[in-house]
Amino acid sequence: MKIIVAIKQVPERDAQVHVDSTSKWIEEGDMQWALNESDAYALEEALQLKEKHGGEVVVVSTGPERVGSTIREALAKGADRAIHVDCDDLNQRDALGVARLLSKAIGTESPDLTLTGLQSDDLGYGQTGVILAELLGLPHASLILHVEKTEAGLIVKRELEEGWFQTIELPLPAVLTIQSGGNKLRYATLMGIKKAKTKEIRRVTSQELGSVAPPVVVLERISAPQKQKSTQLLGGSPKEAATALVEKLKFEARVI
Amino acid sequence: MSGVWVVLEERNGRIARMSWEALAAGHTLGAQLSLPVNAILPGAQTDSMAAEIATKAVAKVVRIEHALLAGYTSDAFTLALEQFIRTEQPDYLVFPHTYQVRDFAPALAARFGQVLIGDVTGIGAGPVFVRQLMQGRLNGEYSHSGSGTCFVSVQSGAFRGYQAESAAATIEIFEPKIEQAQIRTKPSQPFRGSAQTVDLGSAQFIVSVGRGIKEAENLGIVQELATALGAELAASRPICDNGWLPIERQVGSSGQTVSPKLYLAVGISGAIQHLVGMRGSQCVVAINKDPDAPIFEIADYGIVGDLFEVVPALTEAVETAKH
Amino acid sequence: MISSLPTLAEPQHFLLPEKLLFVVLAAGSGLLFWRRLGPILRKILASKKDADLRLFPLGKRAWDFFWEVLCQAKVIRQRPLPGLAHAFVFWGFCAFALVTLNHCAVGLGFGFLDPIGWFGRFYFYLAAAFAVACAAGILGLFVRRFLVRPRWLGEKLSWESGFIALLIFLLMATYLTAFFVVDTSATARLLWWSHTITLLIFLPIIPHTKHLHLVLSPVTIFLSRGSFSQIPPLVGDEDFGLVTGADLTRLVSLQAYSCVECGRCTEHCPAANTGKTLNPKEIILGLRSYLNEYGPASSEPLLGKYNSQEAVFQCTTCGACEFQCPVGIEHLPILIGLRRGAVNTGAWEDDHGAKLFLALERGSNALGMSATDRDKFIQKQELPYFNGSQEYCLWLGCMGGYDPKGREIVADFVRVMKYLGTSYGVLRKEKCTGDPVRRLGNDLVYQQLAESNLEAMAQAKVKKVVSICPHCVRTIQEDWKEYGTPPEIEHHSEFLARHLSQLPTVQSQEKIVYHDPCYLGRYRNVYEEPRAAVRASGHLVEAPRSGERSFCCGAGGGLAFLGEEKGERVSHVRTAELVETGAGTIGTACPFCNTMFRDALASKGTGAPQLLDVAQLIARNLPGAAPDSANVG
Repeated sequence: MKIIVAIKQVPERDAQVHVDSTSKWIEEGDMQWALNESDAYALEEALQLKEKHGGEVVVVSTGPERVGSTIREALAKGADRAIHVDCDDLNQRDALGVARLLSKAIGTESPDLTLTGLQSDDLGYGQTGVILAELLGLPHASLILHVEKTEAGLIVKRELEEGWFQTIELPLPAVLTIQSGGNKLRYATLMGIKKAKTKEIRRVTSQELGSVAPPVVVLERISAPQKQKSTQLLGGSPKEAATALVEKLKFEARVI
Repeated sequence: MSGVWVVLEERNGRIARMSWEALAAGHTLGAQLSLPVNAILPGAQTDSMAAEIATKAVAKVVRIEHALLAGYTSDAFTLALEQFIRTEQPDYLVFPHTYQVRDFAPALAARFGQVLIGDVTGIGAGPVFVRQLMQGRLNGEYSHSGSGTCFVSVQSGAFRGYQAESAAATIEIFEPKIEQAQIRTKPSQPFRGSAQTVDLGSAQFIVSVGRGIKEAENLGIVQELATALGAELAASRPICDNGWLPIERQVGSSGQTVSPKLYLAVGISGAIQHLVGMRGSQCVVAINKDPDAPIFEIADYGIVGDLFEVVPALTEAVETAKH
Repeated sequence: MISSLPTLAEPQHFLLPEKLLFVVLAAGSGLLFWRRLGPILRKILASKKDADLRLFPLGKRAWDFFWEVLCQAKVIRQRPLPGLAHAFVFWGFCAFALVTLNHCAVGLGFGFLDPIGWFGRFYFYLAAAFAVACAAGILGLFVRRFLVRPRWLGEKLSWESGFIALLIFLLMATYLTAFFVVDTSATARLLWWSHTITLLIFLPIIPHTKHLHLVLSPVTIFLSRGSFSQIPPLVGDEDFGLVTGADLTRLVSLQAYSCVECGRCTEHCPAANTGKTLNPKEIILGLRSYLNEYGPASSEPLLGKYNSQEAVFQCTTCGACEFQCPVGIEHLPILIGLRRGAVNTGAWEDDHGAKLFLALERGSNALGMSATDRDKFIQKQELPYFNGSQEYCLWLGCMGGYDPKGREIVADFVRVMKYLGTSYGVLRKEKCTGDPVRRLGNDLVYQQLAESNLEAMAQAKVKKVVSICPHCVRTIQEDWKEYGTPPEIEHHSEFLARHLSQLPTVQSQEKIVYHDPCYLGRYRNVYEEPRAAVRASGHLVEAPRSGERSFCCGAGGGLAFLGEEKGERVSHVRTAELVETGAGTIGTACPFCNTMFRDALASKGTGAPQLLDVAQLIARNLPGAAPDSANVG
């Protein structure tokens, strides 16, 4: 199977984020970068499929030069080669713009399966994979925890709300967006990093892939939310506290 | 262009709560821009639900009706709504940000060269749509440029479910053209996670119990709360060491690592070995007698009190809120 | 008077056939000896060269040789009675060197030590005294091995050991008896031949048994790496640690063949003592068996037939094994080398291990917590940030920065520093020192952490560091050297001890049992300073296994981050030992020990002794209201 995994380099989970002077993005000066979490699971799924069925795993990533380190991390974990779409203006593109860039980059590859993470840790749109499927004219499924290859194509396990799941059958080629937590991630090893040095990273610039329409959705401004996250202690009688808690969980935290 | 159209979602023969919230968002938008607010319900045989929607102060309800819309598939829903949009040309198409919507709305928007503004938590003047970035650490304000439909989906709980009632609006039926061959995915019936094995790692709701529970017999009240919340039961190490709960339910450094939407720590002090197992939880609630328990440091909400009183009260409050 | 004392009988006038027989037998014996030793030496020399072995300066090597080999210091000190018995046997052998030479020369007619001359008499009497001691020693050891049978020597009786004991006894007996016969008698000749045959049988046996240590261990001790738990750097792109025979270096092979199977390492191993698979002696003997079967150039995995991955990952790196070894075997670099081989190649599949590695790949601490947690703690405690002007950089570490109890220790130490007026600051960003991943063998993550931290410290112009965690101290001071020049660092107990005269002490009868952390005691040789702190706050009580013999708490080697252990919990065994001393307080100097004991005590319920770090023992004597330490957060 030839599997393409689209991976994104995002700010480290732990990172302190500060709005920059333009109020349109965050300060990147001191930033530490890491592989997007659900993309790591997408990569793991791809590697496991390759181990089972043979084939090739190719990672694609768009972004400036610094994404090279994340690409090498993916190669170290077992991807066979990589495509780096060199692009300095990722922030000025909307989800459609990014997906278009990706679809052009993987256009000639004709993969059997394309995987993306469910959503990115920074912008969190969760749309790139779905739009990619649309642009490539391929069937897709999202929020996938488990992938199995069959004679006819794939059977995948999809997460639904409130602890429900379903399986979906779909033909290949296809696109899947992978949810975190489906597999145990493998750790990067010294051996992997050494081997990665010899693996191919094909670089292509965004200009080479053609111009892209101006974005229809624009991020005008970013700001820090007013509320400081601190522990809210709910007082009163047990009944009062319980009622207040349910209220908060429903409408403030929005988890139930 | 024909105003604000809210796409509602049916679940098990009823309109899901998030859809009412999307309707409320639609009304907010409509009021701001002085646009009519209409509702769409894709599905099959949705008459009674449509009738309910019609009483929610909307200008019009359209049932997008087709046998192939009885169960959700992205191909069918995308095709159906695509055809509707071409006909009706809405200014705004508002969705609830459900798993289902996330699966097809981006593709649908792309068909029109548009981009979904998803998981919106607020609508400001402009309009600008507010959504969270960096896992909630920042807010971003988005605007839509150009003509063409603006696709928006709203986050669960961001807007209070619409309450106002009205006289019934008109209900129309729109019949899209969908062929079976166009549907490329075959979904199964939904099922619960396996009853045998405990999979805390993917649980969305967890109620976790610690030494404050004192005795195995008392686990019952916590189990009731878990059931009410649709949550998995978990525990800190001493409980599993004593054999009160199986080892698979242990959360902590030598047990499971969990990252649910809601983690309720009942009678757990918050030793580091436990904390590292649940630190990734989206929302942490702690119930403990000791106001100095370390668990409160990382909890989003806390109740300092006797768990034997608080937990049953909480179970009751949750049951009430469900209905 | 002297002339009336018996002299050693030296048979004269061996006939030519006798001499020829002697030569033939001696040659045969020598051949058999070499036939076995030769290949062993070849295997050792065929092993990979040690990249980090520096012969010079010779001073320490010469001293170790003198002290450990000639004086038998370690042999005696760690097991006094059997050690002394062995020392007598060894010294006997040394004393007999000339005797044996002369004995052979006599057989050929060239005896050069005149038994009647003053030097001959003196020397032979000296040798006789050693012979008596040696015979007594070997008898004692025989009784110990075959009658007393301590379990460290293994389940099976070693007939080979018994046979050798017999041979040695015979050698001594034939020598001593020769004082009581006349030169020219047939008995003298018989004794000479008995002694000779015994010798010639003994010689080839040496390389076939663990008595190879007679030849090898002086060399092993001389060539040892030089410092405790010295982990060799990886060399080149193909080096991932000890994966196959080709990775075994000369030093490791030499050490594998030097093992005397005394079992001192196993006796003190926390894993072996709590029902785990790991047995340090078996690890070394496993390598020896591997070399015997496959040789050093083999591509067979080292963790396969003779050693298991499971055993290797049960090690807490407490170092009791390496510390005890009387023949200079360095278990820690070997165990960590085997772990490296498994982890650096991805062969180790462990959920908790992967979680730890992933947490440190992506984040800043081993616990997987968000760095903002540490920031909150710093703000709440109002700790100043290090700006280059303060005397000390206070290194919080993962436990001090994130663990509630670790934070309490930091808070109390900070109180002490404030009282003393010592200036300090904490770094804005700390990453884990890398200790757990270093000991687990993940060089990729370890390198990233070490380099990142070294750069941060250099940028912040850190000169002196103080830390509450012996693991941090060790890793920063020693392990970081591989990637740069670490700043000076000391453990907070060393700081406290130095300032004791300025701190209020309390005369109290409160019994405090002090537990030596492995990484402070054996690794750093710091035993007295924390005790001084304990004495300043109460009455010091020693645990049965303390000081160099301290029994591990079970957290080291990255094990604090791994899953449940098999068998008994090491921490529970140690805690029980500490509780049994009857002390009302357990004194610790390491936040990991503290956490392990806290866990174990929690299952004991009420009546458990209180658990306090040395910083807390000192801080509680300070004037002013005691802080609400539970509210430290």
